[in-house]
Amino acid sequence: MEKPKYKRMKGSQSFRERMLLATLSSTPIIIDEIRADDMIAGLRLHERSLLGLLDTIFDDSHIKTNLTGTQVIYEPGIVMGRKNLVHNCALTRSIGYYLEPLLLLGLFGKEPLSIRLKGITNDPKDLSVDTIRSTTLNILKRFGVAPDGGGQVLLTVPNVQTLTAVQWLEEGMVKKIRGVTFSARVSTDFEHSMRFTARGIFNNLLPDVHISQDHKAGPLAGKSPGYGISLVAETTSGCYISADTTVSCGRRDETGELDVEKQERKPPQDTGVDVASWLLQEIEKGGVVDSTHQVRLLFTLCALCQKDVSKVRVGTLSPYGVETLRNLKEFLGVTFEIKPDPLTGTVILTCLGSGLINLARKLS
Amino acid sequence: MATADELAPSHRSHKPRKSGPSYMKKNPKTDNKMVKQQNPKAFGVNSAMKAKRNQARSMEKEQRRIHLPTIDRTYGESPPYVVVVQGPPAVGKSLVIKSLVKHVTHQNLPEVRGPITIVTGKDKRIQIVECPNDINAMVDLAKVADLALLVIDGSYGFELETFEFLNIMQVHGFPKVMGVLTHLDELKDVKKLRQTKQRLTRRFCTETYNGATLVYLHGLIHGKYYSQRETLNLFRFITKSIKIPPLTWRATHPYLLSDRLEDVTPPERVEMDKKCDRNITLYGYLRGCNLKRGMKVHIAGVGDYSLAGVSVLPDPCPLPSGLGGKKKGLREKDKLFYAPMSGIGDLVYDKDAVYIDINDHLAQYSKTDDGKSRGDVGVDLVKSLQNTKHCVDEKLEKSFVDLFGRKTSTASSERGYQIDDNTSKWKQGLKKDIRKKKLNLEQIVYGASATSLINEDHESSDDDDEDFFKPKGEESKKLGSGLDVCNANSEYSSKFVGSGILKNWKEKQVCESIRDRFTTGDWSKAGLRNQNDELYGDFEDLETGENHSSHHNTEPGAEEVERGLKKLALRAKFDEETNNDDNGNNPRNSQAKEPAGYFEKLKEELEIRKQMNLLALNELDEDTRIEVEGFRTGTYLRLEIHNVPYEMVEFFDPCHPVLVGGIGFGEDNAGYMQARLKKHRWHKKVLKTRDPLVVSIGWRRYQTLPVYATEDPNGKQRMLKYTPQHMHCLAMLWGPLVPPKTGFVAFQNLSNNQAGIRIAATGVVLEFNYQTRIDKKIKLVGHPCKIKKKTAFIRDMFTSDLEIARYEGSAVQTVSGIRGQLKKVQKNMLDNQVQEGGIARCTFEDQIKMSDIVFLKAWTKVEVPQFYNPLTTALQPRDKTWQGMKTLGQLRREQNIPVPLNKDSLYKPIERKCKKFNPLVVPRSLQAALPFESKPKDIPVRKRPSLEAKRAVVMEPKERKALAILQHFRLMNKDKMKKRKVKEQLKKMLYEAEKTKNEEMSKKRKREEIHERYRTENQQKKKMRRSRD
Repeated sequence: MEKPKYKRMKGSQSFRERMLLATLSSTPIIIDEIRADDMIAGLRLHERSLLGLLDTIFDDSHIKTNLTGTQVIYEPGIVMGRKNLVHNCALTRSIGYYLEPLLLLGLFGKEPLSIRLKGITNDPKDLSVDTIRSTTLNILKRFGVAPDGGGQVLLTVPNVQTLTAVQWLEEGMVKKIRGVTFSARVSTDFEHSMRFTARGIFNNLLPDVHISQDHKAGPLAGKSPGYGISLVAETTSGCYISADTTVSCGRRDETGELDVEKQERKPPQDTGVDVASWLLQEIEKGGVVDSTHQVRLLFTLCALCQKDVSKVRVGTLSPYGVETLRNLKEFLGVTFEIKPDPLTGTVILTCLGSGLINLARKLS
Repeated sequence: MATADELAPSHRSHKPRKSGPSYMKKNPKTDNKMVKQQNPKAFGVNSAMKAKRNQARSMEKEQRRIHLPTIDRTYGESPPYVVVVQGPPAVGKSLVIKSLVKHVTHQNLPEVRGPITIVTGKDKRIQIVECPNDINAMVDLAKVADLALLVIDGSYGFELETFEFLNIMQVHGFPKVMGVLTHLDELKDVKKLRQTKQRLTRRFCTETYNGATLVYLHGLIHGKYYSQRETLNLFRFITKSIKIPPLTWRATHPYLLSDRLEDVTPPERVEMDKKCDRNITLYGYLRGCNLKRGMKVHIAGVGDYSLAGVSVLPDPCPLPSGLGGKKKGLREKDKLFYAPMSGIGDLVYDKDAVYIDINDHLAQYSKTDDGKSRGDVGVDLVKSLQNTKHCVDEKLEKSFVDLFGRKTSTASSERGYQIDDNTSKWKQGLKKDIRKKKLNLEQIVYGASATSLINEDHESSDDDDEDFFKPKGEESKKLGSGLDVCNANSEYSSKFVGSGILKNWKEKQVCESIRDRFTTGDWSKAGLRNQNDELYGDFEDLETGENHSSHHNTEPGAEEVERGLKKLALRAKFDEETNNDDNGNNPRNSQAKEPAGYFEKLKEELEIRKQMNLLALNELDEDTRIEVEGFRTGTYLRLEIHNVPYEMVEFFDPCHPVLVGGIGFGEDNAGYMQARLKKHRWHKKVLKTRDPLVVSIGWRRYQTLPVYATEDPNGKQRMLKYTPQHMHCLAMLWGPLVPPKTGFVAFQNLSNNQAGIRIAATGVVLEFNYQTRIDKKIKLVGHPCKIKKKTAFIRDMFTSDLEIARYEGSAVQTVSGIRGQLKKVQKNMLDNQVQEGGIARCTFEDQIKMSDIVFLKAWTKVEVPQFYNPLTTALQPRDKTWQGMKTLGQLRREQNIPVPLNKDSLYKPIERKCKKFNPLVVPRSLQAALPFESKPKDIPVRKRPSLEAKRAVVMEPKERKALAILQHFRLMNKDKMKKRKVKEQLKKMLYEAEKTKNEEMSKKRKREEIHERYRTENQQKKKMRRSRD
């Protein structure tokens, strides 16, 4: 057997996605020049942590980084998926960062995956754990997967043979809005005010709004104070559109990472208004999922389906969505046919799944 | 008049049919059963229990018959069915093919080389391939066959090749099989012929399936072809029984049975180096599933290659077009056939050229005439036409007649050779426009040249050299606009929080704009929004902001579309079923139709999905469709492959199939595969672990070193040195991965001149693993070097302290059965001696002896060698046997090395020496304590014999006399007895003689008596008869 032919890539963008797709299509890759010009070159802590996480759930994968961390050589193995795994996530990104690829990788594992992730549950950059539980898992159901779990940090993913293609065009009408506010090491008043302002926005449109609260204090609350809100709008056709944010007061400089722009902390009233407005904006854009989920889940899942035509409607294509589409073409050879729908201002994407089947699963 | 009526021959009145197929055709509604059952009570159930049981049984049978429905994803025209003609040598395979070709196309085929495609019906084509008698070709063809014709010599019987081929097919997905018995004319005796047919048919059915077809070909007509009637029969059976088998492997991998190979290496390169790597093109119908551009392929017997180019060629053997539904047969001109390798058909089409093959003896070269024409006007005219530099159109355009004083536009004519039709021009423009718009979004997403997407950002930034020094990061900020926000090193977050401009949703007006998206809004408006308007292809030009929307009013709703799809699906299903009924393959289908259960629903769902796919794909334009789904099955493709070893072209033999199979995701990576394997029941020897074995998995054939194992009840996989004789076992193979459930067949020797069956084993891949889990038993032996009460220090068991650390806490045992535990490494044990490691401290349940041997029973991992060697049979002369790694036995035999012998493992005759026990010695202290009676008596050893032993015994005279008398008496008695015995014997003899004499006499007398009696009886009877008469 000749040496595996590496796919060469450059830069640190869509690192997670590249690793994910390289694994699923079992293509060895080399990523060069990762932040080669930065002050602090190489991989960030969370990226290293992700590599470590991949290593724990994989079998026979080879991950090599060079001294400065500007190059990663990755030869994928097979996803084992085991039980009672524990991973300590780096504190630079929240658990949502790790959960997203895990959800997809777990599907194509040898055994069902059950892993306990420890780290930050919510932060402004990534999907909050609550959103993942309320929205992401519902989207997965469309593709014939019913993962259980979610929870705070315990993730359980079943493994499947194949995914079924979807024709998901109907957005439906928003029938209810649910949400959860969370706070740790701060007063519950923050939550109350967030709820109050958020509800105030929706009052014009929909009476069926329930926002619960999830307050943690004491040792349960972890180390850093913060608060946030996660909202989900459910439509009549079973689409879930979500928005969330977190305002955290934690120290995030311990990694040596330079905070480019000092994050100003918003008061809870403004946070509530912002998130509610954000949700409405997403609803206005249309599409069967929000722009956050477009990227990872919808497009990737469509591309991983059986060799059937999937058709989905999304609002505007987000830049990361475009990036994902490119990556999908690169790795899986799946090209999407994109058609704007001027009437609603949405975009309809059509693709033929790559027909990926879970090879690792044992013949029973 | 009446008389005339009477005179006319009486016509029988018409009797309408009351049963049978023609009756059913006329009255389809009348149920046959109802008519028959005059007395329905008679057919009722007697026992409810029995009826229930019967029903349960039939239900279960029904359920067992049902398979999980699979979706058929071949949307294109179906490729020609592959009919493989296989059989042992000199059995008449080529003749069968020639007869078939002659029958269908009325053409004589001089020789059969390579696949031959024939149009056999309005919508049917077949591709006939002859299978050479080579195991590699058999394996390759079994993987692609849709129907296998097994040609069998009727006068000889079955041969091993047939069974081998059957076995190979069973592993790679069993296609339809049909037997053809030839050489039946050699059996002259009619009875024998009948018996032979019966016997062979029965055997054939047991080997394949009950009811397998066997066609008989009795003899040749004019010594050339088989008789027309029999060929027709064979042909009908072929066309009837062809059906694509629903095989998972074939449905998920594109493949191509190449019927043409061309070497397209630039001639200069070949000139420079004859052994340079070649570029080849392969042609064939695409089968299996769609082929995408970037796919890697495996050429059987050569290796893995990526496709340098794929293009669609017009079908060389197209199905007849324009045949109405009523016309039954084929027209003569539609009976096409295509066999580029057989040397038939001198016209060969390529992507951009047409080659005309002219035999040398037919070609006549005209002399190059230098000015002197030979007077033939036609020839001259043609030549002058050939010599013209400008074509007629150009000339016409040049000869422009200036009527209105405008300038000639010939110089700037872009269109060149276009047809100047008004409507076509209009269409052209439209087409161009559409294409332009179509690309819009995709172009933005995938870029104009989609290949160099990732590096584009960097390249573009190189252009501006003006400010040579730039602060870091500025670059990226500059680029961070538009859609290409995510430049090379941007922070990645899937959360897309937009530009931050949020509308003020508190205002009512703003809220009203999305009012209809909520259940509180207008439902009808919302319904309009969800229409499937993309069906009607209206689009928006994003750059200009133009809206090209078509009439919305006539659009059907989403539900309507779905209903349409359902209708289509139902129709397709119905068609399929009626087809089945026609073929008579599925008589129970009508039964299956009735219960509209889960199965039916599943089937319908799949059918709807298929129709949806078709709908969605067909509305794409050709280029996009190929980009999205790849090349459809059934198209005639030209694959260009670069850098193939020159041997492939050099040793190319058209008789051997060239199979090109697509490789799926992850199937080009090598890894461990666990398989369930069984030695073939006819293979003579069991297989040895780590002996090289040639396996055929997926498209590939390669040699690998399997390790056999069995699963113990506790789940441990224990290595086996040899495969079991008649049982399944596990095998761990290293090689390119294939999905679980893929079957494989294994060979040990590929040569054609073997006595036994060549198939060594068959199996199925269970899972793949990168890590091996096979263990074997290990027994470490050590000796105590020091014993302290129950603790002993064991040496020779380990060679280093590290090894001991691995086994700490494990159980040990002595030969005598004393159990113990290994505790720890003991250092500096042997004080004065040289430092040596590997001494372990063990504790036992009892003190052991220095002479004891200590065992440690453990398990150790078995390494599966990471070796696999692809078979390169296409890179060598086909008649040569491929030689890979040899087995150890083979090597020993060749080099005359005896099998190494461990003397200790030999069995020797068991000698049990007689035990010699020492005399019992009672200790002196014990002796002292014993009572006198039990005390050993200390008798001193005598030097001389005792008096009693020494003395002589002398008899008294009286005694002597008595003894003498006794002796005399005994002697006399003996003599007397002797005499009496002789006398008795004599007497007995005499008696015997007398007895036999008497018996003889009596026998004679008896016979005479009987004789006499019969005679008298007879006479009496005669008398009686006479008297009666």
